[in-house]
Amino acid sequence: MTEHRYVESLPDLISPDEYADHPDGALVRLRITVTGNGVEVLGDAMRPEHVEALLAAAGLRNIQQMLCG
Amino acid sequence: MSEWTPAVLSTAEAGRHRCDLCPHRCRLGPGQVGYCQVRRGAEAGLETLTFASSVEHLDAVERKPLYHWHPGRRVLTLAAPGCSFRCDYCINFRISQYGRPGGQDWDATPVDPAAAARKVADTGAAGIALSYTEPSLAIELTLALAATGTPVVWKSNGYLTPEALALAAPAVAALNIDLKAVHDDDHRRLTGGEVAPVLAAIAGFRAAGAWVEVSTPLIPGFNDHPDQVAAIAAAVAAIDPAMPWHLLRFSPAYRMTDRDPTSPTALEDAAAIGRAAGLHYVYVERALGPAGRETRCPGCAAVVVRRDIWSAEPPLLHAGRCPECRTRIAGVWGNDDRASVR
Repeated sequence: MTEHRYVESLPDLISPDEYADHPDGALVRLRITVTGNGVEVLGDAMRPEHVEALLAAAGLRNIQQMLCG
Repeated sequence: MSEWTPAVLSTAEAGRHRCDLCPHRCRLGPGQVGYCQVRRGAEAGLETLTFASSVEHLDAVERKPLYHWHPGRRVLTLAAPGCSFRCDYCINFRISQYGRPGGQDWDATPVDPAAAARKVADTGAAGIALSYTEPSLAIELTLALAATGTPVVWKSNGYLTPEALALAAPAVAALNIDLKAVHDDDHRRLTGGEVAPVLAAIAGFRAAGAWVEVSTPLIPGFNDHPDQVAAIAAAVAAIDPAMPWHLLRFSPAYRMTDRDPTSPTALEDAAAIGRAAGLHYVYVERALGPAGRETRCPGCAAVVVRRDIWSAEPPLLHAGRCPECRTRIAGVWGNDDRASVR
């Protein structure tokens, strides 16, 4: 089962300038980094379910995410 | 999960207790949990799960969003579980919908109000925010935090009874309240609650002296028709045209993934409708760039506050007034300017 942990901030990978170019919200962007502890995958999407599905498909069970508000 | 602790706002009724916190007014026997899933009946009154938080974030007050209350300052954000609404688009559904389908168990620890207040003082934050879930369900925690003398702010759905409003208003320094629709059928369909208490809360908190800003998520196919936008803007303007109005870009999420995100054009059009309705301050956080976030003087259109996403430059104000034409800019701009709200 995936565990979601809520954090203060994460970097944006999508710029507001890109909103108009993706009216259906299909844009997903990933940044994969090899760190000293393994592999870190940062995802950003206009539809949160898309990036969550990608991270789940990659077998990632611990997801950090930001909240609205 | 956190512990059940005594709750306020109940009325005894023939072996049950009526919860008087939100307009659902659940009637609860011992052990029965209310619609919100975080208040339950007990032998002597009610109990709540919300004297607790599972987050402790220091973040920008602009995130709530509050643009006219100590801009550029941080707040210590706490979140107790639960919500009195069940909005179909809620990005925070895993914690806001605690106890309902889609919600999840989460670890929360009891809040020590004195320790939270010390953290605010130590970090130079402007206050404590209750956000991410519905803060009015944590009214007992709110009262305890306010008793420390630390300003408390809410990001709220505004769904309170008159009794809850009267109890909370002296304890809450500033709020951002969502107004998602003004037609009751629309509002019930999206949230599960009627809109009249929300409008009453916006007006009531404002009349009580709290600083109030309003947010409307602009949802394609739900509330983005120009007539609907105009009706929402008119409702805000009728209460106070100097209340900032934030137009939020909708992201497809939870049970509302069948439509597209809000387009920048729709947000731009809605902002124009808001200004035409007489609202002095209309904001769009990201989609319209820096111009969507800046505060302009309603008297001479000079820019008086510039913002980035989730930060602000020091306001270009003199004692709460425009430096060009001396028009008062409504808000709480600093410790010396609190009187400028009233």
